Amino acid sequence: MTWHLALRNLARNRRRTFLTAMIISLSLAALVLTDGVISAMADTMVRSATRLYGGDAQIHQRDYLAARDESFTFGEVAALLDQLDQSEWVEAATPRALAFGMVSSSASNRAVQVMGIDPSREARVSKLANVVVEGDYLDAGGSETQLLIGWRLAQLLEAELGDRIVLSVHNQIDETAEQQLFRVSGIFRFNARELDENAAFILLPRAQQMLGIGQQIHELALNLRQASLAGQADLPLFAQLSNADRIAEGWPQLMPQLDGMLQMTRYSTVIVGVILFVLAALGVINGLFMSIYERVWEFGVLLAIGTRRRVLFGLILAEGLLLGVGAIVIGLVVGVLVTVLVAQIGIDYGGMEVAGVALNEVIRPQLNLSQLIILPIWVLALTLLACLYPAAHAARIVPARALHKSL
Amino acid sequence: MSTVIETVGLSRHYGSGDTLVKALDAVDLRIEAGEFTAIVGPSGSGKSTLLQLIGGLDHPSEGEVHLAGQPISSYSGRQLSDFRRDHIGFIFQAYNLIPVLSAAENCEYIMLLQGIKADERQRRVATMLQQVGLAGREDRRPSQLSGGQQQRVAVARAMVSQPDIILADEPTANLDSQTGMDLLDMMVELNQRDGMTFVFSTHDPKIMERARRLVYLRDGVVEREERRD
Repeated sequence: MTWHLALRNLARNRRRTFLTAMIISLSLAALVLTDGVISAMADTMVRSATRLYGGDAQIHQRDYLAARDESFTFGEVAALLDQLDQSEWVEAATPRALAFGMVSSSASNRAVQVMGIDPSREARVSKLANVVVEGDYLDAGGSETQLLIGWRLAQLLEAELGDRIVLSVHNQIDETAEQQLFRVSGIFRFNARELDENAAFILLPRAQQMLGIGQQIHELALNLRQASLAGQADLPLFAQLSNADRIAEGWPQLMPQLDGMLQMTRYSTVIVGVILFVLAALGVINGLFMSIYERVWEFGVLLAIGTRRRVLFGLILAEGLLLGVGAIVIGLVVGVLVTVLVAQIGIDYGGMEVAGVALNEVIRPQLNLSQLIILPIWVLALTLLACLYPAAHAARIVPARALHKSL
Repeated sequence: MSTVIETVGLSRHYGSGDTLVKALDAVDLRIEAGEFTAIVGPSGSGKSTLLQLIGGLDHPSEGEVHLAGQPISSYSGRQLSDFRRDHIGFIFQAYNLIPVLSAAENCEYIMLLQGIKADERQRRVATMLQQVGLAGREDRRPSQLSGGQQQRVAVARAMVSQPDIILADEPTANLDSQTGMDLLDMMVELNQRDGMTFVFSTHDPKIMERARRLVYLRDGVVEREERRD
């Protein structure tokens, strides 16, 4: 009878019930969409930070990242690449020699990060091969003087395809400045300022020779078959690849600022959720109180004929539960539809950089099980929580006062 | 006859000091089983307050209400609910049926609280609604019934749980005189046929004529009693 009564009480003032339900529904729908956008943005940021160039994980000499000292290299590269090529975890891996250097054109010069790469392996790890907008990607069998620079760097150097560029780095053996002549063979456009303005790519053997590091490298970038695994600091693969000399780490360890940013975006979902929940809860409390005040005499009658206060309390909670369940179904439908619609249209941030990561992709809100299960459970739980106050109020009604002069 | 309800020095005061109002002052009253008693008095004499205290809807400032010799003031909130559910039937001046329940459901609700099985509930509801002349109107909601019919449902609801006593606060006040007399005739018949104990408040002389016992209240005090055996 409690459910029977609760359902009929909700149907008593359909407009108010609908409006109260809409507060809950739209809050849930907004939360589903917000979570979808933030999830998609976080994924885009991670993907931009990892799959654009950096890789899901990297191996370095243990002290390299802290010191950025070009003498901190590691070897056994061929064996390591063989191991990675055969690993079930790894999709692709590429070696890199890195150095701070200077590029000089006839018009200008500029400090850059020189990156020696293996073209074919690099193409499987980063997007470099896909973002060449002028000229050609590096060819391992081609000229040793091939040089890939970003479009912004080309502008700063006033350099064009085929122009001669002098590249200077610090040779680790004879401790001298090593200068060699290159020709601009390609211009790339990552749409990421850091790379477009400050990076110059040459062939790995040439870089190793200029730096005097033999067959050694500074960095080995790798993509995992399941990208999300890179977030696990204790991934067994990282332990297998690490030794006393080198260390393998996923992107959260390599880019703590990005990890922190993502944590903040998750908190922002919570903050948005709390704001929406508070508004929804106030709406629910208001709706139920209006309903209760209209029925005070009725509660007086129920109490007078022997209804226990606990049953009356349960009746209000039952009304809240039915209201919440109905509102959640509507909210989920609306939330999914809006999220799917926005995903189809997409949100274009136009390459805006967040935490140093360019949002190059059109962001398409994602739907996941958490939005369809966890969020509704939270909404329902908080709706019931919001019902506690009106329910307690109804259960405390004094029948004699409620009935007033009608006994 | 056995005593169903007894009040001893029953008082209900509101306010304090200079603003103290004695709605009921040291009322001693004994209601015997099968009585048809009218509490009579002008507005503000304490009729409703007395019925509220007897029915456990309010707490006395002083004095006691005894049910079968036991004081109900010692009852917890839950015990008071159970006391009202099992021993008291209420008929309200404004009918006070639950608007979202049908006539049958209004009667059935209290038996649900009592934990009575479905078939027994349905049997009792059918019998009671027939007795009050509402057979065939079981599924109608209060808004689909006239005032007199709603009050008949209220009588059926009060009786269906088989309480020890039915308390009715001016049950005919909202009805026209003919409907009111019909309702009173029905209550008299139920009293005489089933031995149900009725205590009702009224200030209508026509209704007072039907009562076998009259308790006159004035300013919260029992002024006099009258029996018509």
